[in-house]
Amino acid sequence: MIEQFQHKLTSSFFLWFDNFLLKKGEAYSNKTGELFNYADPRLDSRYVAYGSPYKQWVTDSSISGAVIPTGVSVVGSATSGRNDGVVFDFENGRALFSGSDTSMTVTGEFAVKDFSVYLTNDTEDDLIVENKYTINSRLPSGPLTYIEPYDDVVPAIFLSVSQAENSPFALGGMQETKIQAKAVILAEDTYQLDGVMSIFMDSVNEVIAAIPMSGYPITELGDLKGGDFNYTGLAQDYQGENKFCVSKVKTSKLTDRTRNVLANELYVGFVDFDIEQYRYRFQ
Amino acid sequence: MANLPLDVQNALKRQAPKALRRAFEKEMNKKFKKLKNELIKDFLTDSVTLEILEGPGATNISGSLGGISNLFAFIGFDAGHQPISPILQLLEDTQITYKQEIRNKGIGIEFEVSLPTAQAIFAITPLPWAAGRSWAEGIERGLSGLGYLLRKNKGNSGAAIQSRVNKVRSGKFQNRPYISALIKKYKKRFEDLK
Repeated sequence: MIEQFQHKLTSSFFLWFDNFLLKKGEAYSNKTGELFNYADPRLDSRYVAYGSPYKQWVTDSSISGAVIPTGVSVVGSATSGRNDGVVFDFENGRALFSGSDTSMTVTGEFAVKDFSVYLTNDTEDDLIVENKYTINSRLPSGPLTYIEPYDDVVPAIFLSVSQAENSPFALGGMQETKIQAKAVILAEDTYQLDGVMSIFMDSVNEVIAAIPMSGYPITELGDLKGGDFNYTGLAQDYQGENKFCVSKVKTSKLTDRTRNVLANELYVGFVDFDIEQYRYRFQ
Repeated sequence: MANLPLDVQNALKRQAPKALRRAFEKEMNKKFKKLKNELIKDFLTDSVTLEILEGPGATNISGSLGGISNLFAFIGFDAGHQPISPILQLLEDTQITYKQEIRNKGIGIEFEVSLPTAQAIFAITPLPWAAGRSWAEGIERGLSGLGYLLRKNKGNSGAAIQSRVNKVRSGKFQNRPYISALIKKYKKRFEDLK
């Protein structure tokens, strides 16, 4: 199937949300440290994984001050980068080395998002009550080690596009497409939660660049296509596309009385977005 | 009126609104009361309203949960809670007031009706577990089963309750028109009052 409106909306919303949070909130921290080797049965056998203790490294070079890794240091050899066969899996916070050497000592420098951002189809009850999460270790109590790949970690924000509706807008068949999108925020403390809610409360009237899925910057291994991603630049590349507008934003928190019922210690918030675009059908 | 002399027309425009104000007000009040009663009746007989009014023991007459459980429990209200009351109060508070005389576009009196907006109703209908979200808006936009699950978790979590929880959660909530449609319909009807 070729790309449809909903596909474009989802990828555009996801990229915008991530960039907005990182930019307005400086919601990342730069880290330096060792990357630990581990076996990953799901990984292509041509690679060995060296993982950091943190997932979701920042990929966006338009975020000033964030260290976007282009290489890692290997004791006994020069810095290794993409030209040496290293793949950076930003999603899982790790470097994948070509070959089979599992005894290297690897260190790296990278920026870690304060909030991992995920697209989800899970219901709110699944996200908040049912699912179990690993903390994206900020204050490790034991010896530092890698974080397991693939599973979702917290603090996190789960994005979903819940509903969309067309209504006639202008002669000639132009439609007003209204989309409802939401974010479920799982934070470790109220400072984090209030910060995110405040940032997105102020996102009303923001314009979201329409970026097709072909513009999505991440490869199947989690690395950057072409070795670099700059959201501002990418949005400029699609300047001619019909944009989305955030017409309404509503934020709310899970009440403390209710939160005490949860098995985990997380603070939960919700951001409900109304997004609009004026368009012709099938465009 | 076009056949009347200009000075008579002007005199009519000047004097008629004042002379007829009491009669117009009486007539409009009568029509307004009738329409307001219809609005309240329409709201109180809506299947969502009826189901929530029934409380925790209600059956899912609105069909929004596929017949499983009921909206009162699904939203997560505590027994004794009366979520419909604030909406009813706001609708009851709808008033008609004299606004101004009409002289340029015919002869008459303009009235103003203080019908609440859907947004005003959403603002006074918070979800019990997330005060910033409105359950009334949720009926229209969609609701998760979080309220139900959290309430059940607060109590005991025996097998019977757990199986009920799973049953409710597997039955998806089906959103439907509610407050916005009602207000839109009656806004038009109040505007058309003559």
